[in-house]
Amino acid sequence: MNKVFKFLGRDRDLSILGFVTTAVIVVLYLMLGSRLFSIGGLQSMSIQVSEFGFLALAMGLAMLVAGIDLSVVAAAGLSGVMAALTMSGEFIPITPENETQIIILGVVVALTTGLLTGLLNGFIIAKLSVPPILATLGTMILYTGIGTAITSGSSISLKVPSFAKLATSTVGPLPMVFVMLLATFIIVSLILTRTRFGRKVYLFGENEVAVRFSGIKSERVILMTYAIIGILVGLAAIVIIARANSMRVGFGESYLLQAILVVVLAGFNPLGGKGRVLNLGIALVLLQVISTSMTAFAFSPYAKNIVWGGILIAVMGMNHYLRAGAPRARRQEPPSETVAIALEQSRR
Amino acid sequence: MMRNVTTRVLNRKMTPMEKFLLAIMAIYIVIVASQSPKFFSLETAFDLARNGSGAMILALGCLIVLISGGLDVSFTAIAIVGGYSSVLLSRALGVDNLLFIVAGAVIIGALLGSINAVIIHFFQLSTLIATLGTASVFHGAMVILLGSKTFTRADVPQSMLDFGAFSIFTIKEENSQYGLTIFFPIVIAVGVLTWFLLYRTMIGRSVFAVGSDPESASRIGINILRTRLFVYMYVGALSGLMGIIYFSGLAYINPAALVGTELGVIAAVVIGGAKLTGGEGTILGTVLGVVLWQLFQNTLVHLGLSSSFNDLFFGAVLVFMLGFIYLRQRQANKRALVFTSN
Repeated sequence: MNKVFKFLGRDRDLSILGFVTTAVIVVLYLMLGSRLFSIGGLQSMSIQVSEFGFLALAMGLAMLVAGIDLSVVAAAGLSGVMAALTMSGEFIPITPENETQIIILGVVVALTTGLLTGLLNGFIIAKLSVPPILATLGTMILYTGIGTAITSGSSISLKVPSFAKLATSTVGPLPMVFVMLLATFIIVSLILTRTRFGRKVYLFGENEVAVRFSGIKSERVILMTYAIIGILVGLAAIVIIARANSMRVGFGESYLLQAILVVVLAGFNPLGGKGRVLNLGIALVLLQVISTSMTAFAFSPYAKNIVWGGILIAVMGMNHYLRAGAPRARRQEPPSETVAIALEQSRR
Repeated sequence: MMRNVTTRVLNRKMTPMEKFLLAIMAIYIVIVASQSPKFFSLETAFDLARNGSGAMILALGCLIVLISGGLDVSFTAIAIVGGYSSVLLSRALGVDNLLFIVAGAVIIGALLGSINAVIIHFFQLSTLIATLGTASVFHGAMVILLGSKTFTRADVPQSMLDFGAFSIFTIKEENSQYGLTIFFPIVIAVGVLTWFLLYRTMIGRSVFAVGSDPESASRIGINILRTRLFVYMYVGALSGLMGIIYFSGLAYINPAALVGTELGVIAAVVIGGAKLTGGEGTILGTVLGVVLWQLFQNTLVHLGLSSSFNDLFFGAVLVFMLGFIYLRQRQANKRALVFTSN
């Protein structure tokens, strides 16, 4: 028992988050009971969380290196459109024989497009020193633009029936896509905590200038991070098209606010260097449970938006007070030595 | 004295960004004009003025926020909330007066803006994240409290219809007639007001100071809260005004419109050379950025391209310009041995 407390005490964000999540789940269980927490309900929740989870993880990685990625949803849209075009039979006719190859090709196209979008972001941020917000704002419009220009804004339907099985099949009780998400979270978590690269990611977020002076090739770290973000975006696109069986530009625009929300909720610092993948996973569970129960209570999308926006501001405000200890302490730099001496003298 | 000021303003050297934007615009206009002779006409210019005036007003507000070192994404939500609530109020009270409606929208906008300022100031939040949150709260609260009914032409207050259709002068041709919209002088007035506030008043100078370095600004005695309140209330007020102009121009009131287009406005301002790090940005640059954006939005048809290509062109120019601006700064920093994390 002592060990548990020691573990919880080490990470305050985790303990608060875990406590809140458990409390919310218990309260909602008492209110909604089996409507929410049946096997079917849990499965549909875990499928929903899968398509969004990849985007949230991508946003989290961007925040670890003191950035933000406004282009995740647009990039997922573009990757999805490219993959959907591959699997629509428009360019390559689909026969029952080559269906498997087409699916593999579609997945490769989605991942490659995602990777390329990430690399472009990384290049603009690392090599041209454009602030991440602006760089990804620009590429967000660009990726949307490319997608719209290719599709004229219309929806592309998939013509490979077996691809949809990805979204419906299960491994034991767990949906396939959820297992994918779980595996991705574990891999990214291992990369961040167990590899040199992961250390460098955190160091860069903590102090970019110091990292450069300690001989780490910081630009390469940024490029790599955004490349991983790109692959995650490609994975999100695969899940989205498997679920919807079609793709259009502009799909899931509300995910952008939610992705930022869940990452901040998980205790990631938008200034970089702080945040754990495990916490992000718990925050995702919390968000999904709230979201599903709002649907069960028949909340309108606007009411949902109020809740998301309100939680976002509340959590950020709370973090500010918790981190700073006392309000305002964070903003003012510690008084310089002379000021401190003067203060000391005036006190006497 | 006045003449002195005017010549100084006119003789100001253009920033590299502004020159660059002008060059791109000139090339684009030459290409389009050579493809379609109809493009180079007063009618196109008047159309552009009409369609772009709302965006221009929002952009000027956005410029002030960027100069103050922030990034506001709630102004479109404020424009809709201000405009829509004011129209509902005028309908409920039966007051069909344009001044009343505009005043209502501007006041509501400024109030919502002050909420932004207070949240940003006291929680020390990233302005992007704070306004992302307030935008969905403002817009969501409005829809829940006031509903989301749309009003077609028959239900729009008559004074707004007159306002939207009013032209300061019209040109008649054989089979068509077009005029310069009343919005145009309003945009000019807002531009001049913004310029005056930014460059000729204490509060405007303190916006630059806070944007450059809040710490130094507060040490020389600038009240940061007051500056922020001014910045976000001014943006809110402009957004409210824009909401009315937008609804009047369309003669159709839809509370779900406009929200989601804020990033385009910000991009237009950024293209004009305003820096995210604060303290930098010019009105001329903003105007050029918005004009270029609106050119892409409205005139690609003359090249025979559908509107699906709008974002592609604008996005490409935006990414290119951003790369150009910040690469220059990066090289300058390297030469001067400045090591910053921007």
